[in-house]
Amino acid sequence: MNAGSLRRLILQNLGRNKKNFVFSGVGIVAGISSFVFFSALGSGIKRVVATEIFPLDANRIQVVPSSAQFDAWIGSRTIDDEALGRLAALPGVAAVYPRMKLAVPATMALIGTDIPADDLAKLANLPGMTPSMVEAVRKLQIWMEIMADGIDPRLVKGDAAFGAFADPPAGRPIPVLLSKRLVEIYNSSFAKTRSLPPISEVLIPYVPALPLTVNDSYIDRGIGGPKLSERIRVVGTSHHALLGGVTMPLDTVRRLNRFFAGEAAGRTYDMAVLEVSSSDKLSAVQQDVRRLGFDIDTSQKRMAESVGFAVTLVTLGFTLLSLAMVAVAAVNIAHTFYMIIYERKREIGLMRALGASRRDIRSLILGEAGLVGAAGGALGILLGLGLCVLLNSLAVRLLPDFPFKPQQFFGYPGWLFAGGMTLAVVFCLAGAFSPARRAARMDPAGTLSGR
Amino acid sequence: MVKLKDVSRKYGRGEEATEALRSVDLDIADGAFVKVVGTSGSGKTTLLNVIGGLDTAYSGTAEVAGRDLKTMSDRELSRFRNRTVGFVFQHFHLLDHLDALRNVALAGFFSDGDERRSLERAEEVLVRVGLGDKLTQRPGQLSGGQKQRVAIARALFNRPRLVLADEPTGNLDTRTGGQIIGLFQELTREDGLTVVAVTHEDQLFRQADRTVRLEDGRVAEDRRT
Repeated sequence: MNAGSLRRLILQNLGRNKKNFVFSGVGIVAGISSFVFFSALGSGIKRVVATEIFPLDANRIQVVPSSAQFDAWIGSRTIDDEALGRLAALPGVAAVYPRMKLAVPATMALIGTDIPADDLAKLANLPGMTPSMVEAVRKLQIWMEIMADGIDPRLVKGDAAFGAFADPPAGRPIPVLLSKRLVEIYNSSFAKTRSLPPISEVLIPYVPALPLTVNDSYIDRGIGGPKLSERIRVVGTSHHALLGGVTMPLDTVRRLNRFFAGEAAGRTYDMAVLEVSSSDKLSAVQQDVRRLGFDIDTSQKRMAESVGFAVTLVTLGFTLLSLAMVAVAAVNIAHTFYMIIYERKREIGLMRALGASRRDIRSLILGEAGLVGAAGGALGILLGLGLCVLLNSLAVRLLPDFPFKPQQFFGYPGWLFAGGMTLAVVFCLAGAFSPARRAARMDPAGTLSGR
Repeated sequence: MVKLKDVSRKYGRGEEATEALRSVDLDIADGAFVKVVGTSGSGKTTLLNVIGGLDTAYSGTAEVAGRDLKTMSDRELSRFRNRTVGFVFQHFHLLDHLDALRNVALAGFFSDGDERRSLERAEEVLVRVGLGDKLTQRPGQLSGGQKQRVAIARALFNRPRLVLADEPTGNLDTRTGGQIIGLFQELTREDGLTVVAVTHEDQLFRQADRTVRLEDGRVAEDRRT
């Protein structure tokens, strides 16, 4: 039997048994829709984790001074300019971006009444700014200890959207970057509970320069030496910025460290971010880095992996549940086909008498099952997608803001649709396999004579 | 056309086994109209099934149209049934959801598969059996005789050389049965078809040119009429 005849016979038979197939296809639709729903949810959450909460650069590794105490013979364990040169010379390393912590503490006093009236007026005119927010800013009285570090501007290229990210001339405010995660936490909890304006691309250009006192602490009263009054200006947000503080240009921190802690402090780095030319060289570069006596900071990666693993585990649980539903539907399909074959046994005998081979009969039954699976899969995918869209819209509108609350809770990778269709078809074929085999092996003479 | 040598067929195993055919030897020439008679259970239908390649669990040799059926694969046997043999059954075995035209064209699904050509051929054979005005009627709208004519048209669809009819008049009244027998006679005379028709009523098929009587699976009588 050629493909055209097979197709016509399949469609003819499906049309005759519509009701049976609709009932047995319901399970497939339900199973595939839940598969699509939970997989899309898991994919969406993993995307938020990977891009917003713990963003990872696949081709970058963070090199830190070695914490081991017994391998002094290996060489330097601190990261200085010479070490940066050695790291840059490693095969496969495309670039090295050093980071340096500010060696002395710093404090910041945010006093709303100190903000010039003109600046407050500008804030009041910003879109989304309410009078209560302006009033909250005016009443602000926060004294805080601030951590700071310096970063190679090349690493955060593009993040400083509202000003140059370079060591400023004397008297000018220091440009700083805020951590995107810190901003998210501030916006969704701190700002909300205190009626403060959220930090956004609209607000940042209008945030006035803020006072920063370097070599000062509210906690450690033993800090000695001169204090330095500076001003900082937020020029953007970055995933690379310090989570619990501000990130300055590397040259600024180098200058401040030299001033407060001596020449050596201006040449010693706390971390170097290595950019590897391609991910297949990552492993070799990591080995070389360790051979040079440095450690690799994988805490961010480990956290991302842990959260990702937890999400995967939960998603897998629900996916297995969906698969169980599809499997039950496949049993139902098998039952339906056994019933249909019993009803059609004379017809199958007749087809055999008219020239159908065993293979033709098997193809016919499996073709019907495949089509039921494909239709069930397509409907299941549509239903699952509909549920995703509906729930996403409800979640975005009704759920209260929380850190990293996404606008899109669901992810729709290509494999999801291909996987949904494949599962539906494969399970239907599996369900119909045994009935198809039985139909193909029927004794035509026996079925025609009613035996 | 048909050469059976020492053909036996048993159903079941051990002590409960029944022998439907016992060492049957039979030669049927091209263009013959053979009537196979016998009481119920004498092995008539089994004989037709063996000749038609529907039953291959026999012992002995069955050669039809020059092919030893035992040596053929399922695919070859299916092709043989499609191209060389046409079956007509007592209970017609028409599909209720299809009209006469499509019931006849069903055989086309397993040959060249071209729908338009199949329908044209189906119409041609329906006209040939006198049902040119019933093309779109479903089995439920046809009389017993008309149903059997549709079944005969279906058997003729692929221009077979051999038609095997199992009690083709069993469900018909005498007059209609006579018409069907006349049709078979016409097919052998005009188209040169070989027809083997099974009946349990000896009085029917007087037009057949040979009568084979089966008793307990054996050929008890083989005479020219």
